[in-house]
Amino acid sequence: MKHFLRMFIQVCLYFYCKFLWRCLKFVVRKLTGRCELQRICYNTKPGAARTMKIEASLKGSKSKRLQTSVSVHPDAIEKTIDDIMELKKINPDINPQLGVSLQACLLQIVGYRNLVVEVEKLRREPYDSENPQHEEMLLKLWKCLKPNSPLKARISKQWCEIGFQGDDPKTDFRGMGLLGLYNLVYFAEWDTEVAQQVLSDSLQPKYREVSKKELSYSFAIVGINITDLAYNLLVSGALKTHFYNVAPEAPTLTHFQQTFCYLMHEFHKFWVEEDPLDIMEFNRVREKFHKRILKQLQNPEMALCPHFAASESLINM
Amino acid sequence: MGEGLLSVIQRLRGSPGQELRIVLLGLDNAGKTTLLKRLASEEVTTITPTQGFNIKSVHSHGFKLNVWDIGGQRSVRPYWRKYLGSTDLLIYVIDSADQKRFEETGQELAELTEDESLTGVPLLVFANKQDLVTAAPAAEIAEGLSLHTYRDREWQIQACSALSGEGVQDGMNWISSQIMSRKK
Repeated sequence: MKHFLRMFIQVCLYFYCKFLWRCLKFVVRKLTGRCELQRICYNTKPGAARTMKIEASLKGSKSKRLQTSVSVHPDAIEKTIDDIMELKKINPDINPQLGVSLQACLLQIVGYRNLVVEVEKLRREPYDSENPQHEEMLLKLWKCLKPNSPLKARISKQWCEIGFQGDDPKTDFRGMGLLGLYNLVYFAEWDTEVAQQVLSDSLQPKYREVSKKELSYSFAIVGINITDLAYNLLVSGALKTHFYNVAPEAPTLTHFQQTFCYLMHEFHKFWVEEDPLDIMEFNRVREKFHKRILKQLQNPEMALCPHFAASESLINM
Repeated sequence: MGEGLLSVIQRLRGSPGQELRIVLLGLDNAGKTTLLKRLASEEVTTITPTQGFNIKSVHSHGFKLNVWDIGGQRSVRPYWRKYLGSTDLLIYVIDSADQKRFEETGQELAELTEDESLTGVPLLVFANKQDLVTAAPAAEIAEGLSLHTYRDREWQIQACSALSGEGVQDGMNWISSQIMSRKK
């Protein structure tokens, strides 16, 4: 009974607050002559802060059309903007900037959602050693990381040299599926120098003599673990700040993979700084690193790393 | 299915303040982390290979079960010994479909049971991955491991699939019966 009463009061409070918020919005709208979307677009500079406010406003709207606008197909965005303008009785000729700003925001919002779907699909696809494409990627990973030492056989202890657990990497991708492989290959192919450096440091840490500690770790396995970290950041929505700040339009898989490269490099530095006793401290250090990244992403100005500025002009809209 | 730990705790209710230390060992890719997550009723679809170890504690009615899941990669195995002290129960996990490494896993287990800190500690072997068609039956694995020669400790082999949860509860029932009989 007590529990029920408490729940009841909470529900009442929720509706009361919602009602107050609606009233406030109504009054401000009457006073300024602008709706909430307009106020956000005019008062917030482009980037994560603005896009996230627009997203919250659309999701919290009482209009079904506005609520569903965050999940439309990218091709339907222009039509959606027209609908919103009409619904909100905004004259596009008097407010030309609004449509453009809204479109930039919606592209990012819809893009992020689609990226989550794409990444989830890759994660769910298990590594299949019968699939020639999967095998080709795996061999490519070896070639990029170890260009001067050819792999002697597909099943070989050599895989341990790049940090897999045994003689066949296929069992190491597990819950991260193809996503783990895609990330590792991207890192090795596009950020080759850093990847090779991190790999070599992970094998024979140069810091060992100073601290007399065993700082080595398994490069590929850590890559799969960091894939899990990046995946969690993406799915939880924490990466919105970063992507909305760096991706002028829709964030893509490439953006995600670049973020992975950044996280690998940063984690490596963090690991060395943390000066752990041995590999058994991995999860403690990983958790601390995760918290640090989460904290950084709480700042709406935050961009973890710069990305290709393909259409930089758009970000100023 | 996922209520394994909870049910053990519930059965032990009435003797508060007890803390148990359970260590989960086995080769890499045996399914230790999946089993751990299954015991703690957590999502088992996003498992990654363990670097170092995972630990899960469940508090309930004054009980605390600390389950240590330690990586099975060859290079990490030398660290196993550091975690054996004051262990109340050892769970050894085997990938029943990985016939090629039965010998290797047998050797590791044999070496483990010779360790002084595990003298007399009950041993539960999970013959995991029974959901795979190529999985060997538990009896065959028990024979391969020569479990019947273990005279100085209680042991049990349990067929299971940590992925589906099948058989996990039966193993946990055995654990709780062990703990109960030890307390007497």
